[in-house]
Amino acid sequence: MVNPIHIVSISLGVAFFLGFLRKANHNLTSTIMLLAFAANAFISAQWLWAFIYSNTEPFYIFTAGFRPPYSISLLMGRNEAIFTFLINIAGLLSGIFMLKTYLRHGVYAMMAFLGLILGLNIIILTRDLFNFFVFMEVSSIATAGMIILIKNVKSVSAGFKYIVASSLISILLLLGIVFIYYFGGSLNIDDMITNHLLVSKGAEVAVFLVLMSILLELKPFPANGWALDVYEGSLPGIGALLSATSATAVYFVLNKLLAFANPYWYNVVAVVGMISFIGSNLLGIKQKNAQRLLGYSSVGQIGLLLVILGFSNTLGEKFEYIAFGVLISHYLAKSGLFWLAGIVKQDNIKNWAALQKKPIFLFFMGVFLFTLAGFPPFPSFFAKWQLIMELSTAGMYAWVIGILFGSFLEAVYLFRWFGYAMKGEHNDLPMFELPWHKILPVVIGVLSVFGISYISKDWLPGGTSLNFIPLYFIAFMYLIDFAPAKVKNTIVILVITYYSWLVIPNYYNTDIIRLIFSSIFLIGAILTLIPGYLKKGSRKGFYPAALLMFSGLIGLVESTNIYQFFFSWELMTIGSYLLIIRGKYSMPHAFKYLLFSVGGAYFMLMGFGMAHAGQASLSFDILRTGVPYSSIIFLLIAIGFMTKLASLGFHIWLPGAYGESEADVAPMVSSILINAGVFGFIILMTHIPDANIGYFNIPYMLGWIGVISALVGNIMASLQEDARKLVAYSSIGVMGYVLFGMAMMSHLGWLTAITYTINHFLFKGLLFLAIGGVILRTKTFNMYEMGGLIKKMPWSFIAVLIGIITLAGIPPLSGYAGKWLFYNAIVLKGWYIQGAFIMFAGIIAFLYCFRLIYAIFLGQLKDEHRNIKEASVWFIIPQYIIIITIMLFSAFPQYVLNPIGNWLSQYFPNNALVWNGSLATSSLGYWNAFNIMMIVMGMFVVLLLFLLLVNRGSKKVGQFDIVYAAERPERPETTHMAYNLYAHYNKAIGFLITPWITKSWDNISEWVNTIANHTRKIYNGNGQAYALHILIYIVIAYLIINGGLF
Amino acid sequence: MGVFTKIPYVLLGLFILINYGLLVTGIFRRISARIGKRIGMPVYQPWINLVKLYAKRSSVYHGIMFYLGPVFRLGGGVGIFLFMPLIFGSEYFSNFSFAGDLILIMYFMFFGMLGMALGAGEGGHPYSAIGISRGLAQFTAIELPLTFAIIAIAIQYQTLSLTEIVAAQQGGITHWVLFTNPFATAAGMLSFLGAMGASPFNVVRAPQEIPIGPPVEFNSGFLAVLRTNAALLHIVEAILWMNLFFGGATNWIELFIKSFCVYFFALFVGTVFPRFRVDQSIRWYLKVPLILGILAILYIKFI
Repeated sequence: MVNPIHIVSISLGVAFFLGFLRKANHNLTSTIMLLAFAANAFISAQWLWAFIYSNTEPFYIFTAGFRPPYSISLLMGRNEAIFTFLINIAGLLSGIFMLKTYLRHGVYAMMAFLGLILGLNIIILTRDLFNFFVFMEVSSIATAGMIILIKNVKSVSAGFKYIVASSLISILLLLGIVFIYYFGGSLNIDDMITNHLLVSKGAEVAVFLVLMSILLELKPFPANGWALDVYEGSLPGIGALLSATSATAVYFVLNKLLAFANPYWYNVVAVVGMISFIGSNLLGIKQKNAQRLLGYSSVGQIGLLLVILGFSNTLGEKFEYIAFGVLISHYLAKSGLFWLAGIVKQDNIKNWAALQKKPIFLFFMGVFLFTLAGFPPFPSFFAKWQLIMELSTAGMYAWVIGILFGSFLEAVYLFRWFGYAMKGEHNDLPMFELPWHKILPVVIGVLSVFGISYISKDWLPGGTSLNFIPLYFIAFMYLIDFAPAKVKNTIVILVITYYSWLVIPNYYNTDIIRLIFSSIFLIGAILTLIPGYLKKGSRKGFYPAALLMFSGLIGLVESTNIYQFFFSWELMTIGSYLLIIRGKYSMPHAFKYLLFSVGGAYFMLMGFGMAHAGQASLSFDILRTGVPYSSIIFLLIAIGFMTKLASLGFHIWLPGAYGESEADVAPMVSSILINAGVFGFIILMTHIPDANIGYFNIPYMLGWIGVISALVGNIMASLQEDARKLVAYSSIGVMGYVLFGMAMMSHLGWLTAITYTINHFLFKGLLFLAIGGVILRTKTFNMYEMGGLIKKMPWSFIAVLIGIITLAGIPPLSGYAGKWLFYNAIVLKGWYIQGAFIMFAGIIAFLYCFRLIYAIFLGQLKDEHRNIKEASVWFIIPQYIIIITIMLFSAFPQYVLNPIGNWLSQYFPNNALVWNGSLATSSLGYWNAFNIMMIVMGMFVVLLLFLLLVNRGSKKVGQFDIVYAAERPERPETTHMAYNLYAHYNKAIGFLITPWITKSWDNISEWVNTIANHTRKIYNGNGQAYALHILIYIVIAYLIINGGLF
Repeated sequence: MGVFTKIPYVLLGLFILINYGLLVTGIFRRISARIGKRIGMPVYQPWINLVKLYAKRSSVYHGIMFYLGPVFRLGGGVGIFLFMPLIFGSEYFSNFSFAGDLILIMYFMFFGMLGMALGAGEGGHPYSAIGISRGLAQFTAIELPLTFAIIAIAIQYQTLSLTEIVAAQQGGITHWVLFTNPFATAAGMLSFLGAMGASPFNVVRAPQEIPIGPPVEFNSGFLAVLRTNAALLHIVEAILWMNLFFGGATNWIELFIKSFCVYFFALFVGTVFPRFRVDQSIRWYLKVPLILGILAILYIKFI
């Protein structure tokens, strides 16, 4: 094997050699430089391979033939191999990325670059403190040189500030090293560790200076103004280098040196990290400059890594896995994003919309962002999961909250940025250049992310149980994204059909709940994909997103433990976010959706962590009453599910997200996705049937939240002018019923909730498909701009009619089942008052049902719609499949409800329904669906025949042939009474829907922004101030640390 | 008794009630005319109107939904009738109440309302739409106290079966809900005012401002069907309230007397009080009647 010393010799040799080639062709010199990096990377890789696959012993290199302390020694161990490999690869890719820059600036720039990478390699390898200092200086000077490779005011001042800051830090470091030598008598790190040289009080000061200066090198918030200016002012390629290499190397050094420090230093590191993580991510929120934003994110991620390092003892053997997962994600994603910044060349994050000109780059950006934010299947997800689980096991919940809070803040700015890139206006933005040398590193970065994701999942306990097969299929769909939408649609439908065939029958007779939900998710998927045939072109990006969502959903059903559940939940979140944001004006709504989803998921994650604490298993059984804090666990997880159910308080994302999404996406998300929350509640509540915090019974509170959601959702729906928003608000209402039903924690309550879930899936799918089909024709969402369409679109009309009859719960259709069950349930449960209000909400539903069908299909046809056609057959087909299902469910509910009842009896044996054929009897009343259906149909036919007889010879008249006292109607617009139809209702009870929840969320967001905005004023751009920050930071840290807090 | 052997009795009951409903309509028109110091129409005028309308040869319609609207509407009225036990203890006049309980009747009211609303909607007349929007909005508020009253009764008798509710009230006047839970009765009767659509809650069809509202476009046979339904529906509703709060009826005479009195309550109030605007009536229902409804539950739960 090649001696690691050759990393040094090659770098140095090439750097000196390049000095002779000043006049030579820069292509040649840059190639030599890249070869040097490649050789370095090869050496590290070779060692890495040896350490992993043949258990090689760590290898010491003693320079100058002496042993320490008389010489400098280097160590190549497994970790050193990993880190030098990362550094050298980053050097190579960075070199490639910045090829143009080197060609322009010539050998001096290349020499500086080589020096930087060399320095970083050595500080990783070295076991000598002074040697460390020297090469720290080498890399600092090289970095300063690299910063001013681009010549403008920003970069020059950034370079200057960098020099000021790093000199200050160096002075401290040097002082510390001097003291250490004075107290310890050695500069060899191993010496200090093994012989405990640094135990005296004086040595503590020395250690303080050394470790503090290393911490400061990692740019802790708030003493990091200089670093942010550097990130902002230098070339993006440099940003990538600083973020991926320098920080990585220094992090490694910190880990190395902590070994000789007093153990309390681990706590110091954790605290510094946490402050950095939260503070930096908070300030990132106000950031508009892409590179500076990445700087904030870098500082934040390093903060998180510090926290992990600080708890390395607690994390035990998991530490390496967790740290590596976060580090590699940061390393790849951050350098990738900096490189993208170098490609797109737009400072303002809003102008990243330019990426839309080359959608593949949006994909790259998305991969990097989701990696950073810790979504599956990326390594950071696995690491973060494990971190939360381990910290929870150790009972460190405050830290868990801090980490999740910081992660949430990070998600805020990352996904706002992504939203701009995905949906911003890009027509006025210039197309960016795409030289090969800039694309290559990005592509390698993306591929590495996926590669490492694939490998890293296997390292985790339970990781192999994750189902990756759908992900492979999604990857395949992405590869054939160029194909026509019709082809892809067919493939996807066939595959989902096949998958349904594999999955659904398994649950038949074994698990009725999973049977129902897998049917909703998979058959719903097929039905809502059918309208996709309407799309022309290739519909880029749609199928991977839809499949991600559906595979997440079915993953929930198939999951047997909390880990699989959470993995699927997050997949579903990504997929649904990507689907929702496809709508034309969806950007802010998709953003809200994502924030609520992420926030909810973090609550859930914390709940899972608490449940997992102290229990080896990951299975759902760890969620059970009797586990410590089971009530709090219940509450946390319930909040996660409530964000998906859009229960009041967590609902503000829903109307926009559903309303603004594409015509066939709306039914996917509203009638299918929303049921994930219901399924979650079923899982949660079957395991923890009761939860009390103090005097508060949580299900009781959930019941009231359900009531208020139902009321407010339905009133809001009634007051909408936009058909899609109306249907969307109605989802909030119906999910309010469902939550209420679940919260009742009784046999009939749950039966009601599940019946509503099934009905909601059917009628909401039906309504959204019908409305979507109509809107595609009318080109307007406003109901008052439609009218009279029954004559043009009778098929859609019938669909909406069936939909609203089901929704409103009018017998004989299946909606009535829900109402009947509800009455029984609330009387038996004793929730009279809230029960009456929820029935009231149900009656309010009539208002919007009527408005929907009347304003669109009845009333006066508009002139511009005289030649309109029926909605596309691709929308009609799934509607009629749903209608048939509704009819069957209405006539024969016993085949569904009876098995559900049997299943429920194991949890709630009391008050079960007694089925006798189609007659259901509760202890209060009875209901015979089939008989009702027959009686109503018979009656209807008789009456119709009667009217036909009485009115034989009735003549159909024209649109304006109406009784209009002494006047004649002017125009359809003035005659169609649809605008503000329920003005009087708003006047009467509009006060109930004062949007104070929206206002309070707005206020929270405003406060966060204001705090961020004020706090970041400490970064005043003044180099002296930044130096002062560093000094103050040190002084405060000294006072605190030596003041005995640790 | 089989379903099919029941049909003749059901039809007989229907015939009786429609005629009784027409009679009551005639009588009340007469009474309210006298209160207004007019002579009023003859008591048999409703029959004449009906025959005239059914016999009309010229008839127009606006489309299929318009055509089906009256069918739905009458279906609503007949449906409630079909699912309601008329005479307590009589197998002949228990109709098809085996198919569903009180909740079915409650929700079947919407069947006619919605159908009518859609039919009138297709008529395309703005007054129809205004009337419907008012009607639906007002109805949400009307239903709330009634819901409380029904829940209170369900708690009291532990049943939602109308037959059993009536059965529980047998054995003397003091067993009626009127006396066992006066709050529920009060809430229910206030809801009844709205359900009957009489003044002060008749803004839905306010003749002066939106000439008769929803049915404005219906003519000849269509209107005849609606009139038939109105006669039937009002009396059926009176019977429903009678069953709920006043002990039901064990024979036809009792049914006639009690339902007449219940019906008369709406007329009495309507003659005395002027019309509310919709927003006023909604807010009104959300005050005293709602409180009465809540009291009804508290009363039965704690006293």
